[in-house]
Amino acid sequence: MLYRVIDAEERDALVSAFMQEYEVVAPVKRGRGYVFDVIESPDEIAYDYSTTTASLKKYLLPPRETLMTFNAVDNCITEHAECIPPRVIFGAHACDINAINRLDQVFRDGRYPDPYYTARREATLVVGMSCMPTDDCFCHLWDADEARFGYDLFLHDIGGRYLVSISSVEAANILEAACNPRVATDEDRSDFRQATRTRQLSFNQNIPDIQDVAMLMDAFHKDEFWDELGGRCLSCSACAAVCPTCFCFDLQDRLSPDGTQGERYRVWDACTSPQFAEVAGGHNFRPDGRERVRHRMYHKLNGFLANYDRMLCVGCGRCVSACKADINPIRVLEFFEEKGSEHDA
Amino acid sequence: MSETYPQGRRLNGKGVRDRNRPVRVVIASFASCFGCQLQITNMEQHLMDVLGQFELCYWQLTSSDPMPESFDVAVVEGAVTTEEAEKQLRELRERAKALIAIGACATTAGIPGMAAKGFYEHPGSVYEHVPQACGAMISPRPLSAIVDVDFEVRCCPVDPYDFTIMLQRALYGSNKLATTRMLCSDCKRNETSCFFGEGQLCMGLVTSAGCGARCVNLGRPCQGCAGISPHANLASARKSCERYGVSVSDFDEKLEMFNQTNQAMHEAE
Repeated sequence: MLYRVIDAEERDALVSAFMQEYEVVAPVKRGRGYVFDVIESPDEIAYDYSTTTASLKKYLLPPRETLMTFNAVDNCITEHAECIPPRVIFGAHACDINAINRLDQVFRDGRYPDPYYTARREATLVVGMSCMPTDDCFCHLWDADEARFGYDLFLHDIGGRYLVSISSVEAANILEAACNPRVATDEDRSDFRQATRTRQLSFNQNIPDIQDVAMLMDAFHKDEFWDELGGRCLSCSACAAVCPTCFCFDLQDRLSPDGTQGERYRVWDACTSPQFAEVAGGHNFRPDGRERVRHRMYHKLNGFLANYDRMLCVGCGRCVSACKADINPIRVLEFFEEKGSEHDA
Repeated sequence: MSETYPQGRRLNGKGVRDRNRPVRVVIASFASCFGCQLQITNMEQHLMDVLGQFELCYWQLTSSDPMPESFDVAVVEGAVTTEEAEKQLRELRERAKALIAIGACATTAGIPGMAAKGFYEHPGSVYEHVPQACGAMISPRPLSAIVDVDFEVRCCPVDPYDFTIMLQRALYGSNKLATTRMLCSDCKRNETSCFFGEGQLCMGLVTSAGCGARCVNLGRPCQGCAGISPHANLASARKSCERYGVSVSDFDEKLEMFNQTNQAMHEAE
C-alpha cells in the first residue's frame, strides 16, 4: 500500500478532479438525515455525515433493475445492457466498503458472476473516509471498522490533513494531478495512530462485545428469545432495505400497457417479507415473524460466516434506527450478554 | 383472515383470453365516489392501448348501454351497502370468469365501511323516520366478504397502471404474488425521513406496500388506504407508537378509516 498526505483544503480539488471524468456520488443532507446522491458541486458534500439512511448498495444492486425485455407476441427476448456511467463513490465509511466487499464475494467473485452487478462494480471507484462512531455503530465488533481493500483511495482524517491510502493507479493519477500529495512524516504517522485510538475508544460501551457469536446463535437456536424478538416484527423489511449487505432479490415480469411488449426486472426482496419463503402450492416455510427474524439474524451472524469466513453484518447501525419495532443485532448481543451473566450469578 | 391477498388462484395462473374472440369486460360500481373509474380514464396516454386488448361491453361512465348477458371479466368498484348490491355482485360473480375489485371501497369497504360500527343504530340517531331512498341497507362490506375475488387493485384511488397490470393478469394469466409486506421498506428505498422520528403518526407500519409510498414522497404521512396487511402486527405497531411518542388512540382511530370491517381490528385489542 502506498500512503501520501494531503491538506484538508485540497479535498474539494480532489472531488472536482473526479467530477471532470466521473459521476460523483457523495453523502448529502436530506430531511433529518443523509443520503448518498449525485453531486453537482463539492459544496454539497456533508463530509462529517454520521451515517446515511440507506446504504451504497443501490449503486451496485439497484432497488429495481431491468434484466431483459421481451416481445409477448413473437415470444422472443432481448438482452438488456444498461449504460453505466463511470462513477466515483466519494466519502464511503469503512463499514460500507466492507459491505461492498461482501457483495463482491456474492455477485462478482463466485463461479457465476452476476453480469449486471459486475458491470456496475467495474465502472465504480470508491473513495473512503474515516469516521467517528455514532451510538448505534458496532462495526468494530465485526472487524469492519477499517477497510483493508475494496477502495481506490481512503482518506484518514489526521487533523487538518488526510493520510491517504492509495490502492489504484486510476485514482492515484487523479490525486497526483489535483493535489500536492507528500510523503508522510513521523508526525503524520503519530497523528494517524492517535486518530485511530480515539475512534476505537469512542464506540458505545453499552453494546456488549461477545465472543463466538456464531456458535452462540446455534447454541440458543430454540430459545424463547426469538419468539419475543420476532414476535414484534412489523414485517416491513425496512431493515433489509437500509442494510448494506442484504442482497436478496425477486424476479418479476410486467407488460407494456398494450400487452405486446414486456420487461423482466429484479427488485429487492428480503427474508423478512411474509411471502419470501412461500413456495408453489402456497406452503410458507417461514410463515411468522418469529421464524423470519431468526432466519435473518442467522444469515447475518452465522450462515454467511460459514461460507465466506466473515459476518454478513458490518455493524453500520442503520437497522437500529430503521426498525420501528426495535429489532437489531445489538438486541441479540444483549441477549447473549444476559445469558452469560445468568451463568455468573 | 386469509394470509394472502387474492391472486388469481381460482384461475390457476391462467388467463381468460380466448384466441377465437375478444375478451368481454364489464365495469360495474357499488357504493363509492366513482374516483377509481375516473382514474382509469386519467391514463390518457395509454388508454387506447389498454382498451385495444378487449371488448369493453359495459361501463356506465361512458355509455348507457345495458349490461350484456354474458362476459368474461367483471371489474368492480365500491363497497356493498344494500341487499340489491349484494344480489348484483353475486350475479356478476356467477357470470364472470374473473372478478377484479378496484379501490379501497371494494377491497376494504373503505369510506362507506367507516359506518359499519353500530351501523343499524346510526340512521335512527339521525332521522326520525329512516328514508328508504338507498334500497335495503346492509352493513357495508368489501366484495371479498360476499364472493370470491380473483384480483384486487388497492388504494384510494387506484393507480391506473396498477389496474392495467391486474387486468392483464386476468387476461393473460399470472402467478405473481401481491405483496403483503408493510410500507416502511419503500420509504427506506426512497430515503425519505420517517414521520415517527418527528412524533407524527404514519400508517405505514401496518399498511400493505404496493403504492411505492407515494403520499410520503409528497411529504404526507401514509393514511393507510391500501388497508392493513393480513400480516400487520397491530400490537407491535401500538408499542412502536408509544416508543416514538405517537398517540396510540390516534393510531386506533386512524385504523378505522380503511379497516372498519376488517376482522383483525376487533381481535387482540
